[in-house]
Amino acid sequence: MDRLRRERHVLGAGRARPEEEVAPGPTWVAPCRKPGSGGRAMQRDLGSLPLAPALRARLVGAGFSTAQELLEVGPCELSKEIGISNEEALETLQVIRQECDSDAARMGGDPTSLRTCTALELLEQEQAQGFVVTFCSVLDDILGGGVQLTKITEICGAPGVGKTQLCMQLAVDVQIPECFGGLAGEAVYIDTEGSFMVERVADIATACVQHCQLIAEAHQEEDHHKALETFSLESILSHIYYFRCHDYTELLAQIYLLPDFLSEHSKVRLVAVDGIAFPFRHDFEDLSLRTRLLNGLAQQLISIANDHKLAVILTNQMTTRIGQSQSTLVPALGESWGHAATIRLILHWDNNQRLATLYKSPSQKESTVPYCITPHGFRDVQPPPPSQTPEGSEMNPRKRPRIEEDKQ
Amino acid sequence: MVMLQAGLCPGLTAEMIQLLKASGIRTVVDLISSDLEEVAQKCSLSYKALVAVRRVLLAQFSAFPINGVHLYEELKSSMAILSTGNKSLDTLLDSGLYTGEVMELMGAPGSGKTQVCLSIAASVSHSLKQNVLFIDSTGGFTASRLLQLVQFRTEEEEEQVEALQRIQVAHVFDIYKMLAALQELRHCMSQQVVCSGGPVKLLVVDSVSAVVCPLFGGRQSEGLALMMQLARELKTLAREFGLATVPTGIKVELDIGGYGALEERPGASGEEL
Repeated sequence: MDRLRRERHVLGAGRARPEEEVAPGPTWVAPCRKPGSGGRAMQRDLGSLPLAPALRARLVGAGFSTAQELLEVGPCELSKEIGISNEEALETLQVIRQECDSDAARMGGDPTSLRTCTALELLEQEQAQGFVVTFCSVLDDILGGGVQLTKITEICGAPGVGKTQLCMQLAVDVQIPECFGGLAGEAVYIDTEGSFMVERVADIATACVQHCQLIAEAHQEEDHHKALETFSLESILSHIYYFRCHDYTELLAQIYLLPDFLSEHSKVRLVAVDGIAFPFRHDFEDLSLRTRLLNGLAQQLISIANDHKLAVILTNQMTTRIGQSQSTLVPALGESWGHAATIRLILHWDNNQRLATLYKSPSQKESTVPYCITPHGFRDVQPPPPSQTPEGSEMNPRKRPRIEEDKQ
Repeated sequence: MVMLQAGLCPGLTAEMIQLLKASGIRTVVDLISSDLEEVAQKCSLSYKALVAVRRVLLAQFSAFPINGVHLYEELKSSMAILSTGNKSLDTLLDSGLYTGEVMELMGAPGSGKTQVCLSIAASVSHSLKQNVLFIDSTGGFTASRLLQLVQFRTEEEEEQVEALQRIQVAHVFDIYKMLAALQELRHCMSQQVVCSGGPVKLLVVDSVSAVVCPLFGGRQSEGLALMMQLARELKTLAREFGLATVPTGIKVELDIGGYGALEERPGASGEEL
C-alpha cells in the first residue's frame, strides 16, 4: 500500500514532461500482486523450487527470481534467454507449474488446506489405530501397548541379545487377526545380514497359532473360529515379503522402491530392516557421504511410515565409545543417527538376564524390563518355579541327597 | 531483483527494454546501479528518459525508512510475550517467547526437545488460548502425550478438547514440502483466512535439521542455500506476522565445506528446565 501511494505522488511530480504518457491510475504491472492467480503461491522464490543447481544458477544470472516471472515467459523465450534447449525449458516450466498448481490446489481447497489436522483429530486417529504386540507383556507395557504405527522404532543391542528374534516375532505378530487384538496386516522384511531363518519363523508362527487357538477355545466366539481358518502357518509365511540386500546401494534402492511396492500391497503394516548398520559400517571411506545417506534414508522411512500408516523397525549394532577414563557401549552409526529413530529400545545383558531399556520415546517414560527368548519366541520372564526341595538348604549331613541319574 | 518489463513504470517501453538487455541490463538493480550517461550513449537512448525511469523505479522499489522512535512505538504496541508455561524456562528467556522472534532449541538425541515443544504448544494453546501450528518432520508428535500435558493443566474435558483443537499439525518430511508449507502459511496469514477461530500465534518446527541434514556435504552447496531459504522464511514469518517461531535442531559439528571452519553448535542441556 505504501508503494502505491508513493508511486502516485511521483507521477504527480513527473507531469512536467508532457511527451511522456502518464496513465491515470495504476495500469502498470504491480510486481507483488497478480489478480486471479494463486496469489502468493506464484511468489515462490526460485531457491525453494526443486530445480537442478546449474539450471538455477543460469536462471538467477538472467535475472529471474520468482516463479511468477518464469511462468510469464514462454518456453521459447526462456530457452533463448538462458541458453538451454527447448525441451529443457519446457520441462522446467512444467515442474514449476506443477509445484505452483499443487500449492494453489491446496489453497483453493478447504480452510484446513495446509494439509494439517488438529491435534484432536490426531488423538482420535492414534487411539483408533492398534499396536503390534511383542508377546512380552512387560515390554508392551513400557512401549505403551506395543510397537507403534507411523513411527520408527530402533532396536539396538550387542550380538546375540535377541534383535533378529524380536524382528521375526513382530513380523508374525502383525498378522494376528483383529478379533485377537492384532492388526491383520502383512510384513516386509529387509535383510542385510542374512540372519533370517525360515525354520525359526515357522516355530514362532506355530506357537502364535496355537496361542490363538487356545484363546478361541476359551472364549468360544464365532468370529474367532472364522479368523482361525485363515490364520495358519502357510498364510503367515506367505504374507512375509522378504528382500535380501547385499550392500548399501541395494538397500537404498530397495527403500526407494518401497512406496511403489506398498501401494500394490496395501495391507502391509510392518517394515523391518534387519541390520541397518551392517552395510554402512565397513568399507565406507567417506563419512560425510554416509551421514548424508543415512539422514536421507531416515527421512524416506518416516515418510513411508506416515503415508502408509505402518510401523518401521530397524536394528542397529553397538559400538564402543572410548571416554577419558572408561569406555561405554553406545548404538552405532553416530550421534546424528540418534535423531532418526522416534523410539529407541536398547537390549542388553545383566549377568544371565536379558534386559530391554526404553531409551528414547516421545510419550513413554524411560524404564527397563527383563525378557527371555524361548523356543516359542519372544516371551516374558517366567517367575522361577517354587523350589522342589525347600529343605535342601539345610542339608542333613546324615542323609544322602537324591540325585537324578542322567538318562542316556 | 525484479526484471525489467514493459509497463513496469510509465516511460519504460518494450524497445527500451530490448536495447537495455542488449547491453546487459536486465533487472531493476542493474539499471539503478549503472552509469546512466554511459548507458545512454551505448543504447542511444535519451538521457532524460533514463533519469525519469530511474526516479520512478527508485521510488517504487526502495525500502521505506522508518524512524527509531516509530519502530519502538510499533513494537511496544504489537509485540506480545508468550509464556512457555515453565517458570525457569521463562526466566531464562526473559519472561517468555517474544512474537516476531525466532527461538532455536538444540540438543543431543533424547535430551527432551520434542517434549519442550509439546509443552510450549500445550501451554500457549490452553493458558493463552492462542492458535498454534506444529510442523512435524520427525514423527515425534504424539497426540496422547500432548493430551497428558494438557490434562496436567486442566481437569475439564471441554477445555482439553478446545486446547487440542487450537493446535494444527502438519507432517512434512522433506525440505521442499516444508518450504511449501511455510509459503502456504504466509499466504493464509496475508489473506487473513480465518482458520478455526483466529490467526496462528506460535509456529513450532520439529525439527529443522531432519529436513536440512540430508542436503549437507558433498561438493554441492545446495544444502546451504536451501537452509538459508528456510531461515529466511522463518524470519519473515516471524517479523511480518508477529509469530513466535521455535525450530529445533541437533547438536552436531557442521563442516561448512569450502570455508574450512568447523562450526560447533552448543547443545542445550536439560538442566535448565
